[in-house]
Amino acid sequence: MLWWLLLSHGFGVLLAALSGWRRGMRAGLTVASAAPLATTIWAVDRLVSGTDPETTEVVWVAGLDLVLRFRTDTVALLMTVLVSGIGVLVFAYGTAYFGADAAGRARFPATLLAFSASMLGLVLADSIWTLFVFWELTSITSFLLVGYNSTSDAVMDAARRALMITAGGGLILMVGLLVLAEEAGTSVISEFGAVDGPAASVAAALIMVGAATKSAQIPFHVWLPGAMAAPTPVSAYLHSATMVKAGVFVIAVFGPVFSGNDLWTALGLAFGISSMLWGAIGALRHDDAKLILAWSTVSQLGLMVTLLSLRTPKGVFAAVSILVAHALFKAALFVVVGEIDVRTGTRRITELGGLAISMPIAAAVAIAAGASMAGIPPLLGFAAKEAAVEAALGLEGPMFIVAGLSVIVGAVLTVAYTTRLLIGLLGPGPDVTVAPNRPLLAIPSMALAGAGLLGYLFIDPVNELVVPAAVELDPSADAYALHRWPGPTLGLAVSMVVIVCGLILGTILARRTLAIPRPVGADVADRWLDAIPIVSRTIIGRVQHGSLPIYLATMATVVSLAAAPFALSLPADRIVLWDDPLQAVLAAVIVAVAVAGMFVGSRLGAALTLGAVGICVSGVYILYGAPDLALTQLLVETVVVVGFVLGLGHLARRFPDSPNTWRTIRIGVSLAVGTGVASALAVAGSQPAGQPPIDDLVRLAADDGGGENVVNVILTDIRALDTLGEITVLVVVALGIVALANVRRSEMTT
Amino acid sequence: MIRKRSPMTRISVRLVTPPALLIGLYLLFAGHNNPGGGFAAGLVFGAVVMLRNLAEIEAPRHARKLVALGLLGAVAVAAIPALSGGVLFDQVIGEVEVPVLGKVKGGSALPFDIAVAAIVVGLVVALLDGLAATGGLGRNTRRPMEPNR
Repeated sequence: MLWWLLLSHGFGVLLAALSGWRRGMRAGLTVASAAPLATTIWAVDRLVSGTDPETTEVVWVAGLDLVLRFRTDTVALLMTVLVSGIGVLVFAYGTAYFGADAAGRARFPATLLAFSASMLGLVLADSIWTLFVFWELTSITSFLLVGYNSTSDAVMDAARRALMITAGGGLILMVGLLVLAEEAGTSVISEFGAVDGPAASVAAALIMVGAATKSAQIPFHVWLPGAMAAPTPVSAYLHSATMVKAGVFVIAVFGPVFSGNDLWTALGLAFGISSMLWGAIGALRHDDAKLILAWSTVSQLGLMVTLLSLRTPKGVFAAVSILVAHALFKAALFVVVGEIDVRTGTRRITELGGLAISMPIAAAVAIAAGASMAGIPPLLGFAAKEAAVEAALGLEGPMFIVAGLSVIVGAVLTVAYTTRLLIGLLGPGPDVTVAPNRPLLAIPSMALAGAGLLGYLFIDPVNELVVPAAVELDPSADAYALHRWPGPTLGLAVSMVVIVCGLILGTILARRTLAIPRPVGADVADRWLDAIPIVSRTIIGRVQHGSLPIYLATMATVVSLAAAPFALSLPADRIVLWDDPLQAVLAAVIVAVAVAGMFVGSRLGAALTLGAVGICVSGVYILYGAPDLALTQLLVETVVVVGFVLGLGHLARRFPDSPNTWRTIRIGVSLAVGTGVASALAVAGSQPAGQPPIDDLVRLAADDGGGENVVNVILTDIRALDTLGEITVLVVVALGIVALANVRRSEMTT
Repeated sequence: MIRKRSPMTRISVRLVTPPALLIGLYLLFAGHNNPGGGFAAGLVFGAVVMLRNLAEIEAPRHARKLVALGLLGAVAVAAIPALSGGVLFDQVIGEVEVPVLGKVKGGSALPFDIAVAAIVVGLVVALLDGLAATGGLGRNTRRPMEPNR
């Protein structure tokens, strides 16, 4: 079944591109939503029926452990429901968000579905290779979607920066996974046992850093606000509900493996706490509603990372609950902000106001989703936030107490920025003209926000989804469940204080923008990222300077350096000058022609002398009884001469005068490469090589290949796969030349 | 350089073309048992095409198509036995009775060799034509050339 679903995503990408191209963006997005819809139904069914995890795999190279392997455990299924379920809603929303004739109508639906498929592969992955491949695929599709249909430099920079950080983080993750696999002796994720020791610490640090880049944890968060340049469906889907959760997902999955590792915990807490607090402050510093949501995502992801790093089953359970609740309310908020943007033309809370009256449905959705984010009943966010507060209380050890306090402070700030956002959007303020409603814009946001409300009212089904996933990560988490009303506990009292403090703070800060300067750290990160393209451009400028003589001289020098060790180990006693006097004659001719070539002043003449050298060399092959080689050499020389005649037409007939120093360098390099290659050949030829398997090859060629020319049978039958590889290289070279020549042609005609 | 090709060049290239093509064909088909093969045949064909270009008889065309078709053909030769349950590049050898020539033995190595030849022709043409194009002689701006006279 899993294969069918993955295949249907693959076909869906093609069909979505096709129907988008033929019938427009709406048709493309509608077609694209089919595969995620089927996947959602399948995953919910499996989760509710409690079927045992099922593993499927395709072995690619068994010896190298290269296996495409998937496993449907409860965490993976829960993530699948989020990825595909929210995917369906986002596709539906996209049909209304974009005009029917929007640009990129074939590319956009296809890329969005390709992202959905990559994300699905990532959460279901059960081998480190599978995980890595799909991880990087999500980075690439995210890059394509952020930069979608924009020619502005700022957007391109944002897309490139997101790619550099997330794909670079993917490489770090890969190294960590490799170290871990080496240590654990398996590459199958579900078979990892707890590991310990220095290698495990290295793996833990690398995996944590890799996950932090994807989940936009400080200091890697700098890509997320920039990625808000993407269209709203992309922001809602990738940059709040799913892709940024990939890091949290990896931290959750590998948590049991590193449960005893202090470095893992310390790094997780450092990333989590700083992101949670600084992200929340960031949300108070901006007045673009979408940026507020982006910073709040950084903060919420930090909360999840912190909870996962608490090392308690309560923390794991709370993190999974927040993950689900956050996906619902944050996607809803993004969708509403997108709707506001489409209908009013602005997203700045300083320019908006009174939407409670002019856009009642959007306002209701915003209040429901915002209250869920702030953790106010009766919404799913309240139950999840209760679990988080419970997990933050009663911790031991200074590091964990700081973490617990930070969770509570973060909760206050969350209520504050939510209040500020809602007052900014809905409260009294400047009047804006509002374009008429489009039903499909509202339906997905109502569904997402409504899910938060229904999830609270019918909390038992939610527990059926959340608890098994938490138990999968930590078996003792089965003692916990989400509650509609926890009763008179310390946690509830703390929550009430948090809400009141947050409301007061948010009301004070409403209609104001915190003027906290950017910290030094953020600028440093920015400068580093800006430096990467500059440095690479400088290096390329130095290395690829475009002077052919210098390229040639460099290559020749490297060759002669590589050949130098051979020249030193030349066995003088084993050198045979010739087997046949004719060879000596030919060699003398070759040397004579080559020396004569040095004194030829015309370019064409020099080319012809070179050709003569080549033809004499093919004579040597004949003397050794290698007609195939001689034939090929002869033909290549012919073609090369034709090439010279064609190419030399553009140059002066005679060689230009060159300064003496350059001439000396060239003579030196030529002598070095000549001696080096000659002695390397002499050494190689004088090594005892044993009996070549020529008789076997002749028999094999005659019996299996049906031919008497052994060389040809080797090329076309015995080692045909090698030949296929070689001609593929030839094809690539040919296409490259054609492309380069076309560039020159168009330059010449314009 | 020579701006206008002399009639001598043209005529000698025209005279050389048919025997050169025959030699190429011979190398292609004889390659399995005697010196030759797809690579050598491709070089001969490529040289013929470029000589005709040099002599301004006709401009090369279809280089890219040849390359693409050649690679497709090679992959097909590799994949067809695998898809029908064998291994990649499994050889099928058969004998056919051809009038005049008598019994001719051939295998699926021949189509593979033809594919190699096609790619080499395309490469040679692309390479030499690219060389000719990237300067400033202006010969390439005059394409398509005048029809054969």
